[in-house]
Amino acid sequence: MRRVFRIPFTRGHIDREIDDELAFHIETRTRRLIAAGWSADAARSEAMRQFGDVASVRASCVELDQERERAMHRANLIAELRQDVAFAVRTLRRNFAFTVLVVGALAVGIGANTAIFTLVDAVLVAKLPVSHPEALVAIGNTSRVGGISTGFPQTNLISYPLYKDVRDRNQSFSGLLASGRSDRLDVRVDDNDAELEHPRGRFVSGNYFSLLGVSPLLGRTFDARVDDVPGGSPVITISYAYWMRRFHGAPDVVGRQILVNGIKMAIVGVTRPGFTGEIVGLSNDVWLPIAMVDVLKPNARRLDDRLVNWLLLLGRLKPGATLARAERELPTLMQQSIVANSTPTTGRAFLEGKPKYYVSSGTRGFSRIRELFRAPLLTLMIGVGLLLCIICANVANLLLARSIARGRELSVRLALGAGRGRLVRQLLTESAVLATIGAACGLAVAWWASRGLVVLAAAGIPFAVDLSLDMRILAFTAAISVGAVLIFGLAPALRASRLDLASSIRAAAPSLMASGQGRRSRRFPLGTALISAQVALSIVLLVGAGMLVRSLRNVESQDVGVDRDHLVILELDINTPGYTRVRLGNLAHALRDRIAAIPGVAAVTYSENGLFSGTDNGTTIEIPGFVAHEVSDTLVGYDNVGPGFAHAVGARIVDGRDILASDEGKAPRTALVNESFARFFFAGQRAVGKFVHVNDSIAIQIAGVIGDVRDHDLSGQIERRMYLPFVHTDTQPGQWGQPGTMRMEIRAAGAPTSIVQPVRRAVVATDPLLPISSIDPLVTLMSESISQQRLLAQLATGYGVLALMLAAIGLYGVMTYAISRRTNEIGLRVALGADRGQIVAMVLRDALRLVAAGVVIGVPLALAAARLLEAQLHGVSVGDPYSFGLAVIVLTAAAIAAALVPARRAANVAPLVALRAE
Amino acid sequence: MLDPEGGLLRGTLDLLVLKALSWGPRHGYAVAEWIKAVTDGDLLVEEGPLYTALHRLEKNKLLDAEWGYSDNNRRAKYYQLSRAGRQQLRAEVTAWQRYASAVGKALAAATPAIA
Repeated sequence: MRRVFRIPFTRGHIDREIDDELAFHIETRTRRLIAAGWSADAARSEAMRQFGDVASVRASCVELDQERERAMHRANLIAELRQDVAFAVRTLRRNFAFTVLVVGALAVGIGANTAIFTLVDAVLVAKLPVSHPEALVAIGNTSRVGGISTGFPQTNLISYPLYKDVRDRNQSFSGLLASGRSDRLDVRVDDNDAELEHPRGRFVSGNYFSLLGVSPLLGRTFDARVDDVPGGSPVITISYAYWMRRFHGAPDVVGRQILVNGIKMAIVGVTRPGFTGEIVGLSNDVWLPIAMVDVLKPNARRLDDRLVNWLLLLGRLKPGATLARAERELPTLMQQSIVANSTPTTGRAFLEGKPKYYVSSGTRGFSRIRELFRAPLLTLMIGVGLLLCIICANVANLLLARSIARGRELSVRLALGAGRGRLVRQLLTESAVLATIGAACGLAVAWWASRGLVVLAAAGIPFAVDLSLDMRILAFTAAISVGAVLIFGLAPALRASRLDLASSIRAAAPSLMASGQGRRSRRFPLGTALISAQVALSIVLLVGAGMLVRSLRNVESQDVGVDRDHLVILELDINTPGYTRVRLGNLAHALRDRIAAIPGVAAVTYSENGLFSGTDNGTTIEIPGFVAHEVSDTLVGYDNVGPGFAHAVGARIVDGRDILASDEGKAPRTALVNESFARFFFAGQRAVGKFVHVNDSIAIQIAGVIGDVRDHDLSGQIERRMYLPFVHTDTQPGQWGQPGTMRMEIRAAGAPTSIVQPVRRAVVATDPLLPISSIDPLVTLMSESISQQRLLAQLATGYGVLALMLAAIGLYGVMTYAISRRTNEIGLRVALGADRGQIVAMVLRDALRLVAAGVVIGVPLALAAARLLEAQLHGVSVGDPYSFGLAVIVLTAAAIAAALVPARRAANVAPLVALRAE
Repeated sequence: MLDPEGGLLRGTLDLLVLKALSWGPRHGYAVAEWIKAVTDGDLLVEEGPLYTALHRLEKNKLLDAEWGYSDNNRRAKYYQLSRAGRQQLRAEVTAWQRYASAVGKALAAATPAIA
């Protein structure tokens, strides 16, 4: 049965009805008894007796009826909601273009926000997937996960002897583990595998797995005994992913022997899926005992040298111990150990350097990408937040314009008796339906966008993070969409329900008086304010994009000091075949001679680290007559290079001469220094001929000064730098100055890519067993080094253009709406003799007034935002006039284009049609 | 068919109410009179529980209710079977008869055990 009119829902009417019903029964019974001859009093008490306990029957009836009423009320609400949803869907389907526009905009906004949030969560927030990660404490600079630093005691990376001291003497931890980089591993799983493979590995202490609380899926993990004998534990634990990928999940993998860097090692265990190691963003394949490092990497002595710093530590706090206590205890402990085991000079230099001790929460593990991506990710978050604001403003604008256009429909429905609350509810339902569809599409966008972003951002960087959209992210999306509904749904709904019946119906009646200018602007204040806000936000984004793009241009086009367009960098793995000392020198010469003979090669040289590849070597020096104010004054970068290095890479020789073949192999050593070096240490004097001392003992004479070269990055300060001869015979492997890696710099006469294949063949011809790690044109390496900056600039430009388009669409909507309201006014003007140009100018003037207001608000905002970007800008000032000018011009042009369409439509209004339209 | 308090089992009362209304709308008093008449006053000791049953059946959508006027022009609440109530009545009558005949056969049995 369908109820047409609702009975007012009050508590009173149920009681009353039941009282009436029961009274009717008793009275009827009494009357029958009287009719049968009973006296009135006796009849009444007999009727009561026959009925029984009136009070309890009444109570249970009241309860039953109340339940019934509540159920009915609920059913009504649900029916109304279903009606509202059906009505909303019908309305939205009728306005298909509007719906697509709004849903699309919301999907982009919500999707972009969810994608960024997913990344932020995975990279910056997520805890390590180990037991009780909150009790972990990290020691060392957690972003230097692949770092190694030799020659001086360090506290940002820890040497193995220092690790053992801290492990054995601290009072804060129940255990302390160490892990360090493995470099490249050459693994042969099967004897008949032709190619070596290079799983990602990490050297770890024996307590690594037990301390993290990570149990194996198969076999066992390491125990503390693997630390006991250097080189005595040829065992390896592999990850679940590597097991699946390389061994296809074969259960007999435990006990299998594989060759790692030529050493037989036994697989003892497989970790559980989901555990990828202690480094966020890197998914580790194999774990090796630290005690094996000197066997597997014979070129460096990492176990007993206190000046080889390469480990990061994770401690687990004892019950009751706190991070604060560890922060107090460990620096003292580390300082004591370092000073007690250093020479007096080194110890003094160490203390004078006021070393920073890195003790921090280890809950989120180590990560290189965390530091790398923090600024870009947070910038992106601000960017997408602004984008969502713009989108919400636009959607609100569209809904607002529509709700006013529907003003008559709403007032008619109000007049026909629709409840005001009901009307608000219905409009809110429409917004909620839109937001729900938008959010659903947004989730799909997010899934794709987060993966796309990782691919974009990861250019050149191994990058593995968990990107599954989990419940928190769903909640985040839901919060955004609910917020969006409230923002854009509530305002029009309230406004619509406030409509004054009489004036709204009157407005539809023919009236020229009602369309005066002042009246119009009062009629739509929220819409115009939103347009100005959008223009302001677009200015902010466009200015940011302009500055980032210009900064990127500056970075890319700057003078790097070498012939970047013709150089090819070849990286060789000299460790696997075991090249050191004399053999290494011979190899370098043989390769140089063979490559130099290739047609199209203009010059060739070799080096340890080379350009935009390898790591950076640093050392402290002493120069007679130079007084250092701080220890950092004596720090210089250096590389070991071959004869003719400056000529081969195209560096400018400012003074003196290049490295010569005669500089190789013998003391006294000679070196090139760069201009920054010469200027800093020998201000005003000639550097050539002077001596530099390293490690209290090695004397090096400066043979030449070359122009500053950007070796490893395109931004940041240029280091003071020396270039020493690559080939020495007077040092042992692992000792200062003995190269551990080798690269060749080859200058092509023509395009660098043309010599890549001939160079490969030359290497194979020299030594078929020598692995080529990589061979790339320098421009490729340079471009990879600024992939983050490029990504940021691209994203900012994308956002800026998107925001510009949205602002233009918003402006178009508002102007179109305003002109349709003013059709009769414009018709009158035309009838009174205004020409088309005047009408167009009038509409454009209105539009530009909105844009001007936005610019006035946007420029100071953009200035403030630019200050946040300052650290990322190179050669672009915060108030960059080009970026600001361009943003304002582009925006104004877009606004004129958007307003021109409705303006011309207005100019074409025929006076009679306009007057008849009412 | 008496429960420990000497009244009707709830299901039985509901069934009788549905049956009482099977000829058309009636008010509570008429339903009580009909039950008393057809059962010789044996089953419905007190009339109050009848109203609890009526309201319960209305809540469960087996009855529809409407206010109308009685023969002597007094306001009374009339109940009638809903579509669901009619179906329920049919189903319960069938079940009841099967149950009664089964119990009846058992009580009429003459042999002490199965041969």
